[in-house]
Amino acid sequence: MGANLVNLNANPCKMCMPMGAVSAFYGIGMSMSILHGSQGCSTYIRRHMATHYNEPVDIASASLTEEGTVFGGAKNLMKGLENLLSLYHPKVIGIATTCLAETIGEDIDGIIRDFQEKHPDVTATFIPVSSPGYGGSQYEGFFRALHAIVRYVPMDTQSHEMINVITGHLSAADTRALKSLLDASGLDYVLLPDLSQNLDGIHSENYKRLPQHGTPLERISRMAGARMTLELAPLCPEEYSPGAYLRDTYGVPLLRLNLPVGLEDTDMFIATLESLGAIIPASVFEERGRHVDAMIDAHKYNAQCRAAIFGEPDITLGLTRACCENGVVPVVVATGSRCPALKESLGVTVAQAAEVQFCDGFDILDFADFTAIENALLARGANLMIGNSDGRRIEEHHHVPLLRYGFPIHDRVGGQRTRVLLYDGSLSLMESTANAMLQKTEETFREELHGKYYFLTEEAGKASSHGLEKAASVVSGGTMPEETSVPLSAAERTRTHPCFSCGACATSARLHLPVAPECNLSCNYCVRKYSCPNESRPGVTTAVLNPEQALERFLAVRQDMPNLTVVGIAGPGDSLANAEMTFRTLERIRQEDDNITFCMSTNGLALPEYVADMKRVGVSHATVTINAVDPVIGSQIYRYADYRGHRYHGETAAALLLANQLAGLRALTQAGIICKVNTVLLKGINEEHIPTVVATVRDLGAEMTNIMQLIPVKGSAFEHMPLVSNKELTDMRKRCEPTLKQMYHCHQCRADAVGLLNDDRSIEYRLPEITPIAAQEKSAPIARRIRIAVASKTGVTVDQHFGQADQFYIYESNGHDASFVETRSVSRYCKGMDDCGSKSGRMEGILCAVEDCAGVLALRIGDSPLHKLQKKGIRVFTQYERVEKAVNDAAKALCG
Amino acid sequence: MSAEILEERRLSIQRKGGGCGGDGMRCDAASVAGAVSQRACVYCGARVVLNPITDAFHIVHGPIGCASYTWDIRGSLTSGSELFRNSFSTDLQEKDIVFGGAVKLTAAIDEVMQQYAPKLIFVYATCIVGVIGDDVEAVCRDAEKKYGIRVIAVKAPGFSGTKSTGYRMACNALMQLLTPHADQPKAVGVNILGDYNLAGEMWIIKNYLRDMGIPVVATFTGDASYDTLIKAPTAQLNIVQCAGSMMYLAHRMEDAFGIPWMKASFFGVEDTSTALRQVAEHLHDSQAKERAEAIIAKRAPVAEEFLQRYKAHFIGKKAAIFVGGGFKAISLIRQFNEMGIETVVVGTQTGKEEDYEIISSLVNPGTIILDDANPAELETFMKEKGADILVGGVKERPLAYKLGIAFCDHNHERKHALGGFEGVENFTREVNLSLNSPVWQQVRTGASYHLRAQAPAKQVPRLLGHRSKRVGA
Repeated sequence: MGANLVNLNANPCKMCMPMGAVSAFYGIGMSMSILHGSQGCSTYIRRHMATHYNEPVDIASASLTEEGTVFGGAKNLMKGLENLLSLYHPKVIGIATTCLAETIGEDIDGIIRDFQEKHPDVTATFIPVSSPGYGGSQYEGFFRALHAIVRYVPMDTQSHEMINVITGHLSAADTRALKSLLDASGLDYVLLPDLSQNLDGIHSENYKRLPQHGTPLERISRMAGARMTLELAPLCPEEYSPGAYLRDTYGVPLLRLNLPVGLEDTDMFIATLESLGAIIPASVFEERGRHVDAMIDAHKYNAQCRAAIFGEPDITLGLTRACCENGVVPVVVATGSRCPALKESLGVTVAQAAEVQFCDGFDILDFADFTAIENALLARGANLMIGNSDGRRIEEHHHVPLLRYGFPIHDRVGGQRTRVLLYDGSLSLMESTANAMLQKTEETFREELHGKYYFLTEEAGKASSHGLEKAASVVSGGTMPEETSVPLSAAERTRTHPCFSCGACATSARLHLPVAPECNLSCNYCVRKYSCPNESRPGVTTAVLNPEQALERFLAVRQDMPNLTVVGIAGPGDSLANAEMTFRTLERIRQEDDNITFCMSTNGLALPEYVADMKRVGVSHATVTINAVDPVIGSQIYRYADYRGHRYHGETAAALLLANQLAGLRALTQAGIICKVNTVLLKGINEEHIPTVVATVRDLGAEMTNIMQLIPVKGSAFEHMPLVSNKELTDMRKRCEPTLKQMYHCHQCRADAVGLLNDDRSIEYRLPEITPIAAQEKSAPIARRIRIAVASKTGVTVDQHFGQADQFYIYESNGHDASFVETRSVSRYCKGMDDCGSKSGRMEGILCAVEDCAGVLALRIGDSPLHKLQKKGIRVFTQYERVEKAVNDAAKALCG
Repeated sequence: MSAEILEERRLSIQRKGGGCGGDGMRCDAASVAGAVSQRACVYCGARVVLNPITDAFHIVHGPIGCASYTWDIRGSLTSGSELFRNSFSTDLQEKDIVFGGAVKLTAAIDEVMQQYAPKLIFVYATCIVGVIGDDVEAVCRDAEKKYGIRVIAVKAPGFSGTKSTGYRMACNALMQLLTPHADQPKAVGVNILGDYNLAGEMWIIKNYLRDMGIPVVATFTGDASYDTLIKAPTAQLNIVQCAGSMMYLAHRMEDAFGIPWMKASFFGVEDTSTALRQVAEHLHDSQAKERAEAIIAKRAPVAEEFLQRYKAHFIGKKAAIFVGGGFKAISLIRQFNEMGIETVVVGTQTGKEEDYEIISSLVNPGTIILDDANPAELETFMKEKGADILVGGVKERPLAYKLGIAFCDHNHERKHALGGFEGVENFTREVNLSLNSPVWQQVRTGASYHLRAQAPAKQVPRLLGHRSKRVGA
């Protein structure tokens, strides 16, 4: 909103007098209210109350019409009284006036007299309340009603031992707490009003239209003879103070106390009760002790709190004092009612609280609207609001959290059950303020401190982040390494990297260490699997290794494969979402081998903060998967991104990812790390956009791009996405070739791949498998022998794409012992990008070769051959597995 | 009828007989004093119609209550200004009542112009403004002259009629806004009347029309702005949804600008389909008709299928309806029929005689029909007829809950769209999630606990003692 207006209330922080009056009557036994005014007043007030209390709220109206307004509303009010009596049978009737009745000058006392004369049989007590909407707020209306009640209820002046306890508008739960303390203390008392049940009822079989609880009339009539009145409404003007009336009329001594919110004011209240002869149970002092203990636990967080507190005067006073007691600084204290006394009562207390924390200033406002509150809280830098739910729009616009207390609470359930009174209520208030601070800190500190202290620097290795310091000190003995010595040049490393150099792919081996299970990005084409021996694709591994296991595997593979040149971390999640594992693994290996090339692949979300670490441990090559450089397109590819404790969705996630990918890629290339960018070609999503991606990453210094086919992983969002043919893929690569070097030899390998690109030997290095004994025993042989065709390069593992198979190994199995029958050579269905010419001819050949088989085993298979095989009734199993096990498993599956 | 019913109310309550009743329903009249009517007032009617105009400054001239209770309580969504989500009041005080509030109002408008400079201000005159003698119209006229913008007085003292009177006052204010813009060349397109864009419903309808190739000129008044509203006289057709609030405007626009109108309901599969076809027919646009058929062919079966799936949960269930206008009640009865739910009690706050005739023809014999019902009547008849669910507004919700009856919000505060094919699914889901909630099971089986909650505490040890004896034996 804009500036504070003088002549206009912009977003009221108060309601009208009749609202307060009818609320008070809800605390009187067997009472019903009628508003002398037009129909809308009662309906609006009913709606306002029903939404807060979730209870039926019935308030009658005299339903004044044009005629009534001109000639007087007596007829309407009389009719209204008759009708409400016959529908509700109340013992007490509150008649509250409205703006209209007061303005046209209705004589309510006169109308009541006429009514009683006309209906001598009616025994109900009539209590008129003058409550014009322009005369004050609901706060005054509430006390005017109480004042009228003690004036109009016939009093029994005989003195007795009871005390009067008078309160303003409390929550039902707070009233119950107050009552149970008084009950336990052994004092006999009259509570006026008693809001504990009528607007927080229990569910019962028989709904009673007229509220049955509340202070009974007979008790109220004893108030004149009480030995003392405690009025927990310090800011109520004397003019409407029911306690002052009882004092002045019947000589009942009056003690006005603050509401028992917070430690000091509850102490004061308890001490007063004791001085009146109350026996306070030990459990109350136990609660006090717990409160003190809890306030120590919470004090540092409360000290961060700069609160804006608003509501009715007495509760605002109480909340503010309780906050100050806990070290919260109430930078804005406001009430919508006219109440200059608020400032007088709180000025010193709040000033002291502010002084401790060096807060420049604070505002204590009365007769305030929400625009004034909003402007003040923004100027004072409040980080929390405490008050009714009308603060929700400020919460929505400025993200200042709102703790909902008071009336009304319209956007939550349970408004009638909020607690702030006595030690336990105060404790929950005080912990809520502290928790609001903790929540805020938890949500923001990573981002905030990163923004404050972290700068991308040219000197790699200077900024080490996120718990890696410890690992680093193991390597460097406590000093930051200048730069790990790199005996080979980057160019030399590229020549022996099978992914970065097509020439090396047939000679140099690589080892993927699956140490990174977690992922921070949800891609629609991906499903991660941690214990899958079958599928061959990124995101899949047999097992996740820890850094020690990873080192062991490295040493074993190095021994077996002298041509091992590269160690890579490629998931199965994201290498940088598991930064600690990734870097610890690489550090351990570097200790054993200072020559091996380190390579990492990442989605780039966390990249900017780890470039320095990558440089430090000696990563020379990196692959960043960038599928789009436009958040709108990206939002179709990614479900969400988890970044520094927040989960982002949609375009926000895509934009965040993109920003980090671009900044990270630039930082990588500037740090001298050779970068490849992988892009998955997604039909209908990014196919037209890919050339832009390629051009963008070229400008950031990427060495090459690898445009890949989508693997339609079962269970992923893109499971049914149309497939890209080899020809389409090649065309796209060719189209981008002039912009940047393209990779044509990708095998989209597993996160635990070992060996040459086209000869995965990860199977030989698997961790020992634990097979349940029961499962082994159960599998009885199948009588029939099933014939199965296997696409395999070597005949040892199922490791070939169906469409690229030169020959099929034909097996037979009964589910238990597979036997080799023969090999069948076929003309290759599709050799690669350049000779897909007569597709149908090759297809026929392949289909003939496997026609007599019940099943086909292959590493992967295209969509079209899959359908053709299925049409012929041949089932296809795609997996990466030892041939015999795969054949037996397939045979079992085929026999059901 | 039960003794719970006031004598003066009997003519406003009908039980549908087997044959033809003949007697008209007493409706469209002032509420009975003391009856605890669920109706609001003239001001309320005016405010609900005008408030969704997003960039207008809505000043409530009067004491604080009227502005306080209407602040941003309705679910009208905006694609533009958020100004309408604030509540402005002259917050009249005792001295203003004595000396008049016109001076304060004038000063308030001056302030608004300095701070915000809106193109359009509405000033709502509430109950006492006329009584204390403020000439609000004169203040507005002067302000228009001074600032060259539109400042329109809305005469809405609460006592001057019913909520329907307020609708009419709002429509008059809208005509005041439109009349100077009467002489514009005609455009291709329609106006949507009586859609307040609750939970985005107007956008849903607009999307259908867009897919049919029909431009929307102006919307009354969901997501409306000054600049779009003044183009309204150029439209070819007015589509009237909430007839209760906007038929009057449609008639006046027909007289003043020659724009024909049609009524349309977008609640339910059948009504939505019919409405789309009829819009095309009214425009004599065969291409739009084809497109409408295509939309219906695509969307209706999906909604029907959804409905069929849920229908199994609704077998044997009975509904009570208590809503604002007659047109909405009629739509709801039809929707419940589509769902296989029988309507046993139906009432409205401001229905007209012709609405009640239609209602009567739609429901089974024995159904209770009420105008301007109160809580006592709703309680009596919902219990008598064994309603399982009530569709209504915020005030009725706690009553239903207290009686152990499910509830569906069909009010202006709801945050779920109930219009169009989208709305069919939402409505069905809303009904199911309350109607078939497991909580009702607890309510029905908890009778013995109800007694114990009321029993004096000292009985409890005796009961426990009794039980332990039995365990011992």
